[in-house]
Amino acid sequence: MASLWRYIAKRCVDRLLVLLMALILSFILLRVIPYYVLGIDPSFFFLNPHMTEEQQKLIRKRFGLDEPVFPNQFVRYVFNLFKGDLGYSLYTGRPVISELLERLPNTVLLLGTATVLQIIVGLTIGIVATMKRGSKVDATVVSLGLFLNAFPAFFVGLLFLLLFGYYLGWFPIAGTVSRPPPKDPLAYILDLLYHLVLPLSTLIIVGFGGFALLIRSLLVSQLGQDYIITARAKGLPERVVMFKHVLKNVLGPILTILALTFPGIVSGAVITETIFSWYGVGRWLFDASMQFDFPIVQGVLFIYIILTLISLLIVDIILGVVDPRVRLE
Amino acid sequence: MNLSNSLRGKKRPSLIVSLLDFFKQLKRHKVGICGFLLLLFYFILGIIGPYIAPHAPFEMRLAEAYAVPDWFVIFPQYRDYPPNIVHRVSTSMWELVEKSNELTLKIDKSAISVIYMKASETNGKKSLFFSYSFEYPYRPPKTFYLTLKFKATKVNLPSSYARINIYLVNTEGKRFLLLSKRVVGNESKWVTPLDVDSRDITLKLRLGVDPFADLAPLILNSKGTYKILLELEVFDRDVNTNGVFNITLGELLFRIPGMRYGLLGTDNNGSDLFSQLLYGARVSMIVGLLASSISVFLGLVIGVIAGYEGGFVDQFLLFITDTLYFMPILPLLIALSVFYGKNIYLQILLIASLSWMAFARTVRSYTLSLRESLFVEAVRAIGASDIYIIIKHIIPQLIPLIYVQLALSVPGAVLLEASLSFLGLGDPRVPSWGRMLYSAELAGAFPRLIWWWILPPGLMLTFFALSFILFGYALDEIFNPRLRVRR
Repeated sequence: MASLWRYIAKRCVDRLLVLLMALILSFILLRVIPYYVLGIDPSFFFLNPHMTEEQQKLIRKRFGLDEPVFPNQFVRYVFNLFKGDLGYSLYTGRPVISELLERLPNTVLLLGTATVLQIIVGLTIGIVATMKRGSKVDATVVSLGLFLNAFPAFFVGLLFLLLFGYYLGWFPIAGTVSRPPPKDPLAYILDLLYHLVLPLSTLIIVGFGGFALLIRSLLVSQLGQDYIITARAKGLPERVVMFKHVLKNVLGPILTILALTFPGIVSGAVITETIFSWYGVGRWLFDASMQFDFPIVQGVLFIYIILTLISLLIVDIILGVVDPRVRLE
Repeated sequence: MNLSNSLRGKKRPSLIVSLLDFFKQLKRHKVGICGFLLLLFYFILGIIGPYIAPHAPFEMRLAEAYAVPDWFVIFPQYRDYPPNIVHRVSTSMWELVEKSNELTLKIDKSAISVIYMKASETNGKKSLFFSYSFEYPYRPPKTFYLTLKFKATKVNLPSSYARINIYLVNTEGKRFLLLSKRVVGNESKWVTPLDVDSRDITLKLRLGVDPFADLAPLILNSKGTYKILLELEVFDRDVNTNGVFNITLGELLFRIPGMRYGLLGTDNNGSDLFSQLLYGARVSMIVGLLASSISVFLGLVIGVIAGYEGGFVDQFLLFITDTLYFMPILPLLIALSVFYGKNIYLQILLIASLSWMAFARTVRSYTLSLRESLFVEAVRAIGASDIYIIIKHIIPQLIPLIYVQLALSVPGAVLLEASLSFLGLGDPRVPSWGRMLYSAELAGAFPRLIWWWILPPGLMLTFFALSFILFGYALDEIFNPRLRVRR
């Protein structure tokens, strides 16, 4: 048991170091290099030039832009993060976190549903393809997966928009709910789902092929192993071999992949949300980038990274409990 | 020589032999052949595309904005769309309708000279009519343009002047005065031609048309024969002097921009979409190959160093790799593209430096096991240096991996660049496929259902990515037989 605790502690320290490094790196990329190398001062973009000198100074002071970027602003940024303060949007002046929470439900609805469906569909198809390896089903899955992998996400979205939105007119072309939103809660939910159809199917179509291929190649790589031959030699049915032996052994990589897709649920899908004008985090991030609203960009990056690390940590712990071998690494 | 060969064991096959061998293996993969042929197609297109493109990608006003493809005439609803129509009316094509006796005509190859010799007291208006008729069997156009070159000189007639009037007469015989220009007589060179643009608001107001309506469809409103009338008037207002008024008329150019044009029509600026499509192949090729080479190089160097050195170096490099690996690539790329400027080479560099991490981890794990293998130990025992071992013995073992990765990281890079361009963050000087889609969305190709603008770049991108994926997949199966079908 002690080895488990040591393993978990080591992993925690590792992930914390990565988090700190990621913070430093993103700060250098987004703040230090633009300011010192390219000479971009973010306040240049949002301060009204007709304001007096004093007003400008006051506003700069309010966002902490009057201090040197490095190290003062960085230190303040990191301290604020640990206090749970992601900063304020330069344009609206509201806390990043409250603006984020405003958009989060929409994004979680879209990306959460999409991710869950992708995983279910991808996993099923991957397992089926592996069990029928060499057959027509397998070949279809592989070629479909390769083809879907090649499809640019935005092109799928644009095709759907053109076909179902503009040409056939079956689904709304933009927005999260109708304007004005329906008063009745049931009608509101139906309206939301109606708007959800196109972006959701875009995300699923783009995502599940690659996922199925990945699962298939993971499973196939296990099939030649000695323990599988043993299991088959014992006369176990293929189904048992697949679910009890193979899947258990690829649990680690699959869980890791899942852990890496999870943060995307919060940070959103920039392109799909932009195409369908979805009122979510991804589009907000894009708009903020376009306006040099760096507190938002940094905030969303931070949340993405910290969620990645937390979910990886959870996977590590699960694996450490399930599989004692990983503790020795 | 013999000795060293036998020491080395089998002689290494030459490049050509191994290439032939590779193609022999590739032949057995249907998928691989498909990918290879597609790849070849894109490669050739990338090289010759800009040379066979009929126009520069952003050359404007080749035809009407949003023109449909030329071959759409096979569909009945597009049958009467006008192509580009240009009437260059030169000297011999004019038909003289009416002439005052005092005017003499001198027609040569390039110009018509109208000479008014004042010999006696012949004050008043002297006029001349030319007409040119043409067939217009198409639907009403959106715009038309007309220019006329002229020059005028006079001798000794201080207060006389001339006037050039140009009318367009429609099928019903109604005259529209497009232009009326007073000529004083000091226009001694072919300088500014007379210009008519059907979108001109003062022209619409003069004709009594709603200034926000299109003029061209009002005039050219039905199929049939139209006439351009050129009227020349000389107003002699001088008393008691003799003199000469000489007006030379050059070529008249009447242009109706086509509503169908080229293989894929035009965009909102009237640029040729087919040319943009051809140019896009080279851009994608450059982006894909450069970004994938850089990222493979980075991954190889970092992975080999980490795996071979081990210890602290390994831990540190792994740490860096993980840090970048956990960052969201697209949001970061978007922010960096906005902050650092829209330069295609900078974007390639950024894409490459954010996509080497997975490969570095693979290389590291392979190197770890290679480092412990017997042949490396043997070479080390002879006294080979680390650099020598890495270059001569470890990297050659990784070559299949490198080829596969080179092919497989192209689509990701190209699709990332296309995504950035689609979001409007592409290099404004570069005609990429993503940018075509961006401008299609911006110019309202969606509500207008201009699918011939939206589908071609998207499909080109898809098949481009597909070709590399298929080829890389076949390479992977040839080099790493682990994934081969086996039962």
